Amino acid sequence: MSDKSSLIDLLSMAEPKPELRLKIIRGVEKLTDICFKCMKCTSGCTSMKLLELKPHIIVNLVRMGFVDELVSSTMIWDCSICLKCKERCPQEVSPVDIILALRCEAVVRGLEAPEEYRSMLTCIMENGLAYREKKRVVEGVEYDRVKLGLPKIKGPKETFMNAMFMVFGEVLG
Amino acid sequence: MGGAKRLPRVGVFVCHCGLNIAGVINVEKVVEEAFKMPDVVIAEHYVYMCSEPGQKLIEDAIKKYDLTAVVVAACTPSMHEETFRRVLERSGLSPYVLEFVNLREHCSWVHAHEPEKATEKAIALVRMGVAKARFLKPLEKRKFKVWREALVIGGGISGITASLNLANAGFRVYLVEKSPTIGGHMLMLDKTFPTLDCSACILTPRMVEVSKHPNIELMAYSEVTNVQRVEGGFKVEVLKKPRYVIEDKCTGCGICSQHCPIEVSNEYDANLGSRKAIYIPFPQSIPLKYVIDVDHCIRCGACERVCQAKAIDFEQKPTKIELEVGTIIVSVGFKVFDAKRIIEYGYGSLPDVTTTLELERLLSASGPTCGRVMRLSNGKIPRSIAFIQCVGSRDKRFNEYCCRIGCMVALKQALLLKERLGEETEVYICFNDMRAFGKGYEEFYNRVRDSDIKFVRGIPSEVKAESNGKLSLTVYDQSTERFLELKVDMVVLTVGIEPSDGIESVRNVLPISIGFDGFLSESHPKLKPVETNMRGVFIAGACQGPKDIVDTVSQASAAAMKAAELLSRGEIEVEPTIAVVNEFKCRGCGRCEEVCEYGAIRVEEINGRLVAKVNEALCEGCGACSVKCPTGAVKVQRFKSEQIMSVVSAATYEIG
Repeated sequence: MSDKSSLIDLLSMAEPKPELRLKIIRGVEKLTDICFKCMKCTSGCTSMKLLELKPHIIVNLVRMGFVDELVSSTMIWDCSICLKCKERCPQEVSPVDIILALRCEAVVRGLEAPEEYRSMLTCIMENGLAYREKKRVVEGVEYDRVKLGLPKIKGPKETFMNAMFMVFGEVLG
Repeated sequence: MGGAKRLPRVGVFVCHCGLNIAGVINVEKVVEEAFKMPDVVIAEHYVYMCSEPGQKLIEDAIKKYDLTAVVVAACTPSMHEETFRRVLERSGLSPYVLEFVNLREHCSWVHAHEPEKATEKAIALVRMGVAKARFLKPLEKRKFKVWREALVIGGGISGITASLNLANAGFRVYLVEKSPTIGGHMLMLDKTFPTLDCSACILTPRMVEVSKHPNIELMAYSEVTNVQRVEGGFKVEVLKKPRYVIEDKCTGCGICSQHCPIEVSNEYDANLGSRKAIYIPFPQSIPLKYVIDVDHCIRCGACERVCQAKAIDFEQKPTKIELEVGTIIVSVGFKVFDAKRIIEYGYGSLPDVTTTLELERLLSASGPTCGRVMRLSNGKIPRSIAFIQCVGSRDKRFNEYCCRIGCMVALKQALLLKERLGEETEVYICFNDMRAFGKGYEEFYNRVRDSDIKFVRGIPSEVKAESNGKLSLTVYDQSTERFLELKVDMVVLTVGIEPSDGIESVRNVLPISIGFDGFLSESHPKLKPVETNMRGVFIAGACQGPKDIVDTVSQASAAAMKAAELLSRGEIEVEPTIAVVNEFKCRGCGRCEEVCEYGAIRVEEINGRLVAKVNEALCEGCGACSVKCPTGAVKVQRFKSEQIMSVVSAATYEIG
């Protein structure tokens, strides 16, 4: 259907999707097309060294309209949302907001979020925290909350649970 | 022309402006409609009305059809109103019976996507133009004598150049500089790109020339405190700040400074070095007269005791000097971006993070280290240095514009560092775009690329201190697609240029308009690049916008030329489109006087009654008085009631 596209990525044979691009950038508060490729976002990205996340590539792929491959990639889930890219961008582009918009699109399409995210959600439903209670071993002695005299963690309230189900029902299955 | 009242005969001339107008607007249709408008006797269109054949076409039509008024529908009046006024003048008409309709900026450019509606609008605009043209009256330009002396505000390289140019042309120049020496920022530089000649070697001889020139009166350590526009030009009040050193007696020997017990940081060394409370900013200061910094002086009297010339005078008071000048050149320069504002680069908290201006002082033989480049944390020679480009420039959080010097400054300093510190020194330039646009600049960039300087295409996000005293920065290099970590001894931030504080102080006395970026605005970027909204006031150098020395010097010469044009003519032509008072309607309430920014209208007693009077030399025809006048007694020429109302009724023509 898009045989009229003037642009094609010869490595993946992907073509731009202008409507999808508009859908992604519509929800982003700051202009993304203004990026002048200084790569300051990537230079400072918390997830770059371990996960090779390159925010400038995401911004510019969206700018060109190559959105499909991003939505289905695992790359967009690597962002730790430290907001450095947004804070320091000289052109006031916000790569993190684009990444979040792409994640939303992925969820809308019914694509599965990575296991870590799903287990995090389950955890929140159980005890209201992103991570499970952990036990620490210090000099051979095992400590947990009871041993440290800390109260038990209460689960979230029903209203919270309901709200969570409304939002994440599908993801949680 | 003809005493008897004639019916208006209007000619309409529609310009295609190539495809700028005709590409959108149907010019034939506009002409066709124009013929139907009242009093229009001829309507024509042509591809470039401003060209020689276009002008000829209008001239011929004026003669052939005996026109009384002309409507030119073309670009903007700021571009070509003057051009067509001259056409009318040549044809024997008053230049002020021309009505200029803007079909380009006001119509074709903004409605490029809807040609039919644009044509409709063009017809309406022409109709309004014709309506006004029918009521236009011939007006005469006024001429006023101009004092043949000039004032230059700001003694940097632009002020120096402009002053010398004017002085050499035979005009008397007053050069006012607020600091104790002239020379400005250029005096702080070591070498200049792209030729790498020494900054001082170019500048200091010119400074001496200024001080010795019979036509230049140098007023250093002085400020312009008031400017009043009068017939003949400007009455200027200059405040000469007390040096507490008698200039005529001081020999510049410097013994006072040696004995002064107070040491403070030297702003002329970018605060890297120190100076005494009695000091000269530079060894090559002009005038070579010491000055006492009263904020730090403890009045111990040591200088007074050792001065053999008996030049110290603690009783000196500020003095006011009155000047009468015909023209003013403003060249108040720039200030350097304060890198502390970008917290992620750690300037101010990490001593080895420096700026390009500081490095310039370290490189300079007259600097605090006598030209030895060292780390500011420990005084050791840096073995690795990284530049970060565009600090505070091209950054929407601070300044959106390009500083236009950063790329070349970094290239120059990188090369100098290699020369001074040895080939083994590692120099990195982290850049985004490298802009080497001037004459010989790209060639210079070639030379630097050939000098084992590593170019990293990517801007680091932050600078961190390492435990071993080094600085670390991570940067993604686009050319290699590698995520690099640089551990360097020194980071240099290539800081941008900002409007100087001098712009605000000048604007307190001379209301020159500024742009959104805070720099002084020229009247037109191409047609009037050194003129301002104030008649007789010109601008030069970095106060007009970021620029390097090469551009600054050319612009300063241009401003001097424009000033000389005015001074050599000895008179100024003033537009007749000024306010006029109907004395019978005026009741002398004085509201016009309150709103006039130019002090051009005053209520006076004439024959026992109060009446507003316009000073024709000062009025700029802004119309503020006309708006404020409760009785409608003040009107601006060409904007009288019947002229405005005719335009309004033409605009509402279709509504009926």
